[in-house]
Amino acid sequence: MSARPDEPMLVARDVHRHFEGMRAVDGVSIDVPRGKITGLIGPNGAGKSTFLAVLAGTLPASAGTITFEGQDISRLPTYHRARRGLVRTFQLPSEFSQLTVLENLLVAAPDNRGDSLLGALLGKRYWGDDELRLVDQARSLLKRFGMTAKESDYAGTMSGGQKRLIEIMRALMLRPRCLLLDEPMSGVHPRIVDEIKYYLQSLRADGLTILMVEHELHLVEQLCDSVVVMAQGKVIGSGTMAALRRQQEIVDAYLVG
Amino acid sequence: MNSYYAATLLVYAGVDIIACIALNLQFGISGIVNFSFIIFQAVGAYAAAVLSMPPDTANGGYQVYVGGFQLPFPLPWIGGALAGGLLAIPVGLVVLRKLRTDYQAIALLVLSVIANSVITNARPFLNGAAGIAQVPGPFSDQIDPLTQSYQLLYVGLTLPCVLLVWLVASRIVNSPYGRSLRAMRDHEVAASALGKNPVRMKMTIFIVGGIIGGLSGAILVGYIAVWAPSEWLYPETIILFAAVIVGGRANNVGAILGALLVPVGFEEVTRLIPGTIAGWVPPPNLIPAMQWVAIGLLIIGFLWFRPQGVRPEPRRVFEGSPDAEEVDRVRTA
Repeated sequence: MSARPDEPMLVARDVHRHFEGMRAVDGVSIDVPRGKITGLIGPNGAGKSTFLAVLAGTLPASAGTITFEGQDISRLPTYHRARRGLVRTFQLPSEFSQLTVLENLLVAAPDNRGDSLLGALLGKRYWGDDELRLVDQARSLLKRFGMTAKESDYAGTMSGGQKRLIEIMRALMLRPRCLLLDEPMSGVHPRIVDEIKYYLQSLRADGLTILMVEHELHLVEQLCDSVVVMAQGKVIGSGTMAALRRQQEIVDAYLVG
Repeated sequence: MNSYYAATLLVYAGVDIIACIALNLQFGISGIVNFSFIIFQAVGAYAAAVLSMPPDTANGGYQVYVGGFQLPFPLPWIGGALAGGLLAIPVGLVVLRKLRTDYQAIALLVLSVIANSVITNARPFLNGAAGIAQVPGPFSDQIDPLTQSYQLLYVGLTLPCVLLVWLVASRIVNSPYGRSLRAMRDHEVAASALGKNPVRMKMTIFIVGGIIGGLSGAILVGYIAVWAPSEWLYPETIILFAAVIVGGRANNVGAILGALLVPVGFEEVTRLIPGTIAGWVPPPNLIPAMQWVAIGLLIIGFLWFRPQGVRPEPRRVFEGSPDAEEVDRVRTA
């Protein structure tokens, strides 16, 4: 698919998500530009995480359209969106706890011939080569994120920060075009925050598109090319962090929210 | 111990091992709490029975049932396995798509109770509470089932089925597909966000487990020659769960071990309890009742003190892993 580089990768138009009358997401429209890091900020309960879940398909939209790489994906289930390259992470740790760190990464690989009932029954001779290739790929990611020594440990025994890294590496195994990160630095030691920041910047340099929910404004300022502000289910502003700081309304949303 | 007793033990062990491997695929590997497992064994047994028996008019009408096709071996066994798989389709479509895992378990338990009650009361279908008797086993028209050689033959027919089921299950469990199933078990929403289709995976394993469960029923009914609702009450499922929990969830060797320890071992050990204890004759239902108490205590005890079972789920270390050498060293030490 060769979309024009100036065309936004992910477009949401008038997206709603209602929970029994509660309008968690109330008509949100945003463009996520290609190859950039876009921040999504706002007070608690603004609907940021819900909106991210709707974009990824974890929650169905009540109304509105979501377009990814020029195609309407509003009705696609989560796993189809993931296979197209729109991959999310979670706010709470979501590791596969009884799988090793390496296995957590391998699960996400999209193209293993042994990852179907028939492939499995055909035996290791059928899928062994795929497995070897993917183990190499997973190990180079582990190396990049400094977790080589942990590959055979159960993911459930990792620290909060390491689980964050697993989550990001797992998403990268899918070779995504667009990452949706839900507070990737929350509850993480400052040293690992710096690491994650560094990795996100290097991913952007590789051309990956990222939309991230984040509370720490100084991180948003350092990382994000542009920022969308949500409050009470609506977008109340967007632009660079510096420009947003000058708008009283937006400062109020944070101070009051 | 005579050879009949040995053959009986071996056939029962084979049937229980097959059932436990199937339940382990569903519960241990994929996280499907299939509290209706026994109805898949039951449908396999009924299907194999009516496929191998003559029409019900042939025996003076003392029992009534549908079908009666007199098919030769191995068609009744294949039919039993298919019946288990077919039953899994509608059940899975209703239960596995929308419900949360804990409600799935309840729905399946209720289904098991309803199915038993329907078959018990709808006599024209499968002879109701009395059940079906005189089910001919494989080759029983050629060899007298009461002979020692037939007993040996039956063990010989059961063994390849056990090996086949073992092969299928270990290929699934040790494959990338098995890894995806375990990932779904650990965190379904995350698996789905990584491109896995959980409903499809659960349906697939539900059907595979149904087929294997059906086969176990077909093997059993050919041997014991009778099949009635009292054989497949819902607590039978609990025994199999106890076996998988005791043996070790998500470990096929554990499932086999559990099958040998719980359904086979337990029932055999209680046979050794004397009919009278120092002149006191216990009430006739005391021993069976105590068996249930013991099964319950066994499950609780294991979940409390050793939740991973006798043989825990193996940690999968890949070749070239930084600590693979250390694991090898520990193993050889």
